[in-house]
Amino acid sequence: MTLSIRARLLLWITGGMAILLMVFAVVVYGVLSRSLLDGFDEVLLASSRTISGPVERDSARIKFEMDERDAPEFYRSVEPDYFQLWLEDGEKLAGSPSLKTGGLERFAGLPDVPAFRPVRLPDGRAGRAVGLLFIPRADEEAKDVIPAQKVTLVVARGTASLDATIRLIRWLLATATGGTLVLALLLGAVAVRRGLRPLDALAARIAAVRQDDLSAQIPTERMPAEMAPVVGKLNDLLRRLEDAFRRERAFTADAAHELRTPLAGLRCTLEVASSQPRTRNDYREAITECLDVVRHTQGIVETLLVLARFESGQTTLRPEAVDVRELIEAGWRPLADKAASRGITFDTHLLMNFSCMADREVSQMIVAALLSNAAEYTDDHGRIEIAGRNIGESVELTIANTGCSLSDTDAQHVFDRFWRSDPSRTGTGIHCGLGLALVQRAARTLGGSVSARIADGTFTIGLTLPAAQPKRHLMPRS
Amino acid sequence: MRVLVVEDYPPIRKAVAKGLREAGFAVDATGDGEEGLWYATSNDYDVVVLDLMLPGLDGLTILNRLRAEGRAAHVLILTAKDAVSDRVKGLDLGADDYLVKPFALEELLARVRALARRAYCVKNPCLEIGDLRIETAAQRVWRGLEEVHLTAREYALLEYLAMRRGEVVSRTDIWEHVYEFNSEADSNVVDVYIGYLRKKIEQPHKPPLIRTLRGRGYSLGASG
Repeated sequence: MTLSIRARLLLWITGGMAILLMVFAVVVYGVLSRSLLDGFDEVLLASSRTISGPVERDSARIKFEMDERDAPEFYRSVEPDYFQLWLEDGEKLAGSPSLKTGGLERFAGLPDVPAFRPVRLPDGRAGRAVGLLFIPRADEEAKDVIPAQKVTLVVARGTASLDATIRLIRWLLATATGGTLVLALLLGAVAVRRGLRPLDALAARIAAVRQDDLSAQIPTERMPAEMAPVVGKLNDLLRRLEDAFRRERAFTADAAHELRTPLAGLRCTLEVASSQPRTRNDYREAITECLDVVRHTQGIVETLLVLARFESGQTTLRPEAVDVRELIEAGWRPLADKAASRGITFDTHLLMNFSCMADREVSQMIVAALLSNAAEYTDDHGRIEIAGRNIGESVELTIANTGCSLSDTDAQHVFDRFWRSDPSRTGTGIHCGLGLALVQRAARTLGGSVSARIADGTFTIGLTLPAAQPKRHLMPRS
Repeated sequence: MRVLVVEDYPPIRKAVAKGLREAGFAVDATGDGEEGLWYATSNDYDVVVLDLMLPGLDGLTILNRLRAEGRAAHVLILTAKDAVSDRVKGLDLGADDYLVKPFALEELLARVRALARRAYCVKNPCLEIGDLRIETAAQRVWRGLEEVHLTAREYALLEYLAMRRGEVVSRTDIWEHVYEFNSEADSNVVDVYIGYLRKKIEQPHKPPLIRTLRGRGYSLGASG
């Protein structure tokens, strides 16, 4: 499971804080306890100088004499200090009265360099001792008589008050660190909650976006700077989603409407046929009629499916350089015989290498639909003219047919979903082609467009598609 | 009752025309808007079944022109457009009813019958003249307790006369409302069918139901 941002922030803040505080406490503790110990050792060393001072040697021996008043700490009965002196051969020279029957452990560092160590005092208390190796002061006559003999001195003192002070410091530091940590945790929680409040607000806004109304945008004003880009992208996404949904709805409506008319035909024909007993021929006629309608419907459904697949991205468009002449030839082939029998002239004015950059299947579908439309609307002995030219990075293919009885104002309606101007359908033929509304949709899918104009009985459809070889101007050949 | 069907999709046009004919209506049908307008303005139809999307001239324009010319024919709009705004627009332009494709033929027939009755201010689908009873929905006729079996044309003639009971109905009126545009142009045919009808519905020892008013036409029922 992934941790929430809130938990992660809190963890980082308090974890970091805890580590910092602990390091700080350890350092403070170390410095303080060291300096206390140093102070203690200094006193201990001073005390040892008081002892080492009176150690003298004369010509015969090393002697030690001390008055109780010079160092009363060694004489008191309660928690006294201790000292002991040894000659080089290990013989005890002297000891503090407080030693009574006990003794100290002998240790020392290099000559005249004091060594310190914690010890257990003869009365059982914890203490600290300094060991000192030194050559006693000699009087004038003894100076050259006796070789210089080293004396070892160990002075020990109880550390009860030092330990108490260090414990107090430890306790204070631990309490301060713990308390600060708890406070940091609380403050961190509040800060994180307040800091993340815009996120909660954003979540509420997103939750309020309804599937049937994606037009609502999330306002970016008063949004923290860190979140503005996220909200911006989210709004973009919403806009794209809304577009997609709108296209989807329009497409469904297109499909439903396109299918309504043939369905009505099918239903009517079947209902009339079954309304009363009829002759064999009547039934056969009705069945033939229904089959025609089914073929028509199938054509519509297949076209819609192809378009739906392209629009939903189920089938990837594969743009390639497509020779428009090939599209025209393939689209015209199935129409040629019927057109010739009606005396229709078919003229193409396209140069070689007139290519568009488009998916072959979809562009073929569009061109075939436009040609089939033209062939059906052209009057007997009329004319269909195909021309093409390059405009910037696009190619424009125009398909013009004579015999149009519509006015130019009708031209803007030809792409409307229901607009139909199909006299051929009033005859026996059933139009199975792609409606112009769907042609427009398909052209847009390819990144192109279609337009229509009507002048002097000529209906002209212009199809614009991205060019395969931009910036080559090709003049139509008349 | 005479009905004009203007619908450009051949399967619907053919089936609706056939269904209406079999329901006793005289039906003219066309798939072209211009032709539809010409039909509607040159004949006195009881009901016009009008598609909205038509080649040549769209349905709403035809409706507009009909109303502008003061034509009283009841118009039933038949279309794939089902948005409320489309229906409101059609009804506001003077349409009397609206049916969205695909529809049940039965419903279309019932609506056309209702519109036809309305054309003659008749609300009861069961017409009674003396002991003659006509059930327009089932197209059945009784004289007293005895059912009278009529051909489609005879029934259409009787129903038209019954809708205009008590009025003098001219041969031309009968011709225009009972016969289709493509019928054989013989005015005698009206007299012949009146003769057939009389044979089937008149009974001896009862006053005649159909009276001939010389030079003016025919009248059904009312006075004895």
